Amino acid sequence: MKTPAPPAILLLALLLSGPGGVRAQPKSEQSLSLSGGLYAASGFGTNFYTSGRYDYFIPGGHYFVEGSLGVGSLQSKVIGSVTKARIFTSDNLVTYEFTFAYDYAPGGALPFFMFGVGGVREGQETHFAGVIGLGKRIPLPGFLGSNALGFRYDIRDQVLSQRINNGDPFIVHNIVATLGLQIYF
Amino acid sequence: MSAFCNIRPAILAAALLCAPAAPLRSQDTPVKPPAETPHVPLINLNESVAFEVCPHTGMMGGSGTFGLKLLMTYSSFSLELAGEQVIGHTANLYPISINAVLNLATHGRLIPYGAVGAGLWMTVPVNALGAETVSTLGINFGGGARYFITRSFGVRLEAKQYFTSISDPRGLKNNLLFFQEFSIGATFLFH
Repeated sequence: MKTPAPPAILLLALLLSGPGGVRAQPKSEQSLSLSGGLYAASGFGTNFYTSGRYDYFIPGGHYFVEGSLGVGSLQSKVIGSVTKARIFTSDNLVTYEFTFAYDYAPGGALPFFMFGVGGVREGQETHFAGVIGLGKRIPLPGFLGSNALGFRYDIRDQVLSQRINNGDPFIVHNIVATLGLQIYF
Repeated sequence: MSAFCNIRPAILAAALLCAPAAPLRSQDTPVKPPAETPHVPLINLNESVAFEVCPHTGMMGGSGTFGLKLLMTYSSFSLELAGEQVIGHTANLYPISINAVLNLATHGRLIPYGAVGAGLWMTVPVNALGAETVSTLGINFGGGARYFITRSFGVRLEAKQYFTSISDPRGLKNNLLFFQEFSIGATFLFH
């Protein structure tokens, strides 16, 4: 005599399998995305940040490589108004990253994990950074009459060694959180 | 008549024994074995001129590097244009070079290679007031391998030795500098 599956198991199966058919990634090899969000530069405050990303999906869909370029600002009200100090030659922030990602469930609920390296250019100073992060790609079939569009979010930690005014170097964690639109091709 | 009746079973038996032989003999005609499908390698650099774009990262003398290489390949020979940024604490180095690459294989997924080239090195100081960019000529050689996962995408590993000569500010003598670089990156192939 078969034992009926407990309702909790059925519910869990429905939750995990349900989005799969809807969120299945288009059969594409590449994508471009434009994201916007916040960049929290350790010690310099949080500012708006914009990023463009290129992804290449290795067949199978679980792995992809990504190159990205982002721009932001290092403006800090605290440093500007309290100390009147100018630490960098300008407030411009430019970052570029080269990362490798693993997506266990491209159509499921789990986020992808990524790691890599990046360059963080603060004013005229450039720092080599390690990058780790999480994110999620959510294709939007039928959105704007296209099956090639998707939504994505990313949270990343850029870990780098920083030195201010020839002091001792110290490790900082710059946190980046972005939302974006992705187009597959 | 009765004698014929006696041998009739024997004739029938002989006919039965011989009958299967006829269709079997029809297979004696030579049959060509099925033609083998030719093995098509994933990558064939002899087909046509191929172009590659290779973003990469790595380490040079304890500093992190980023770079981009553009290759034009036909068969065993590739011409490469490379630009990099080496991120140092007090200065950034920007080597730009043209390299000749000898591919040690032209078929299959794995393509080892050796490379030699020359170029311009620009050292841009950071946070040093009054310091100017220093440009020198440098040469390099090394080797590596490209491993293609698909027909258009692969990974690339490389090790290189760089040489450059910098004269001191008074111009009294030249210092020969050596740098080693190890890099890993992706390669995108276009035909």
